[in-house]
Amino acid sequence: MRKLDISELDVLALMRYDACTRCGECTATCPTGGEAQDVELVTPRGKILKLKEMYARQYGLRARLFGPREIPEADLKELSGRAYECTICGQCRTVCPAHLDTIAMWENMREFLVANGLAPLPAHEQIIKSIENYDNPWMQPRAQRSRWSKRLEKEVRMKDALKDKCDVLYFVGCTAAYDPNIKEMAIDTARVLSKAGLDFGTLGNEEGCCGSTLLRTGLLESARKMAEKNIAMFEKAAPSVIVTSCAGCYKTIRQDYPKVGKVNARVVHITEFVGELLRTGKLKLDGKVEGVATFHDPCHLGRHNGLYEQPREILRSIRGLKLVEMERNREDARCCGAGGGVKTAFPELAQKISSLRIDDAEKTGADLLVTSCPFCYQSLKSSIEARQSKLKMTDLMELVRAAL
Amino acid sequence: MSEGRYLKDRVTLYLIFAAVIVAFAAAVLALPYETIYVQDRAYLAVFLVTIILCVFVFILGSLYNVLLWMHGKGLTGSPEGRFLRLVPKALRFVLAGRFARAVSVFVKDALHLTRLRDRSLTRWTVHFLIMGGFAITFILDLLVTFSLDILHYQPMIDEEGWAKIWIRDFAFELAGFMVLLGLAVAAVRRFVQRPKMLRTELPDAASILFLLAVVLGGFVLEGMGIAGRIPGHTVNAEYSFLGYIISLAMPASAGDIYDQAWLVHAVMSALLIAYIPFSKLFHMFTTPIAIELDGLLPKEAGRR
Repeated sequence: MRKLDISELDVLALMRYDACTRCGECTATCPTGGEAQDVELVTPRGKILKLKEMYARQYGLRARLFGPREIPEADLKELSGRAYECTICGQCRTVCPAHLDTIAMWENMREFLVANGLAPLPAHEQIIKSIENYDNPWMQPRAQRSRWSKRLEKEVRMKDALKDKCDVLYFVGCTAAYDPNIKEMAIDTARVLSKAGLDFGTLGNEEGCCGSTLLRTGLLESARKMAEKNIAMFEKAAPSVIVTSCAGCYKTIRQDYPKVGKVNARVVHITEFVGELLRTGKLKLDGKVEGVATFHDPCHLGRHNGLYEQPREILRSIRGLKLVEMERNREDARCCGAGGGVKTAFPELAQKISSLRIDDAEKTGADLLVTSCPFCYQSLKSSIEARQSKLKMTDLMELVRAAL
Repeated sequence: MSEGRYLKDRVTLYLIFAAVIVAFAAAVLALPYETIYVQDRAYLAVFLVTIILCVFVFILGSLYNVLLWMHGKGLTGSPEGRFLRLVPKALRFVLAGRFARAVSVFVKDALHLTRLRDRSLTRWTVHFLIMGGFAITFILDLLVTFSLDILHYQPMIDEEGWAKIWIRDFAFELAGFMVLLGLAVAAVRRFVQRPKMLRTELPDAASILFLLAVVLGGFVLEGMGIAGRIPGHTVNAEYSFLGYIISLAMPASAGDIYDQAWLVHAVMSALLIAYIPFSKLFHMFTTPIAIELDGLLPKEAGRR
């Protein structure tokens, strides 16, 4: 009989499972369980009830009186698979009347599944191996990490932060560094930082994956190693500010790294940083960009970090650009469908969810769908192409660079 | 952790548990019960034994639930030892300059349920009626028991006394009516309208039907008392407005089985208390804790 080990579940998570009132508020807005496929077990309520039912069989009052009972292996596997269909977007936390910190609960649930040998899913294992072996999830050699910057060598003065001390460290992130369709995000970001006259650099090929994918899939120990490695790099480079252009890296470095070690620098997302540069006059947007834009709030930036106004302020400061809002915006924004390892393990589900977001964007009449996260960008762009939508997927820094 | 320490932790916790039960039983049995409207004292004795047993089960069940949380990560030692260390730590945390904040979070988010009100006024009203009605009933029960059986406050005892009319008759009736109204709307929503977001499984149905049976039973019992002119129900019956309406449909002979009906209602109420830790009703304790945690614990480095 498999004995479930609940010692990997947080004390607070176990308490919160009992605090769920089963009201169902979370089910209606859950992008994966409620909206895209209507499967109760994927919804927060469904997951909580099922997990509680399972550990009650071995830890409940009846188990204490008459001994633990077996949990059908098929049920465990089903729960495990369904738990990974969640993008950990945090919409449930926003709507929960019981104020349950569901983001922490789902991440912890995955740690528990990994500790009990029920996860990670086979689809995630390749990515995990890639991160552990190559420091990136894309199976790319380390030596290729800084290739995106080659064409900027003459145009932009960007330091190797490990050799030359610099004030601002740009943490590029794996997706913008390796994905040829996304690397323009990194290029535009570097151009914007350069235009502001900043003393900035990158970790070059030494930059490691931030570990977000490992954390979101429940691999705490591997993530800890990645974090320690990057923190050591940060200490060596000793910048005063670390700027990320990836919302996932931002959340991880800002929220998760302090649990591993001290990051002796201010960690900011590029939208916050550029906003500050604009306000202080260090950066001026003299150019004009014609168009109607709508902004997609990345979950890691919005619900997880509360950055809603900063990107909008930047968009409003671009001459010629009109900002329109989707019906679901800010903390009610729909997820792009890619997060939490969903795009890797369940690409069709991710596509379904991102398609709903494209619907939202199309309804606004905008011609530009703007975001500030390479992962959202990737996911939404593929849906735009699949649907042959007239929307143009745009990174916020692309617009800033165009308006310089 | 050594075996000895583990056992010591257990003994301390269960001694506290036993002391609470003994104190409760002593308090219950020490009351003179001069004003309980049951003529046969044997029925009263059955109820007293039942309520003590039910409170025993309630405390054991609640303690058991909390000990299950203590199996989790984040603390060290045996679940019992963790619990014993956590309670004073949590109290120190709240009392160290966070008391006002804790009260404000409790009022705004746990009592007033601001987030629920913003999302659905209907559901907020239903919850407010049920929770508010129960809270008022509980407070009135304490007040009435204290003033009747300990203070022997005459206006609370006399049939024509202001406190008897306005507190024991009218206020209790109003609080009960609030709960009944809330439960009725909740039942219609759950069993008739069946909105997609609701999922009704045995624990959901059991909780709502159990509550309904107890509350409705209370009004029927009152109707029987008024119809049968049982002591305490002989004058000013209209202040117990719902019980009074029910009494109009009852024969005077309903009073003949009043004691039996009282016992059924009293035992059901006691069983409801015992059922709480094993049902979704346990959220009346855990949800406020979760809300307080959300309001008081420092947010992650980045959450604003």
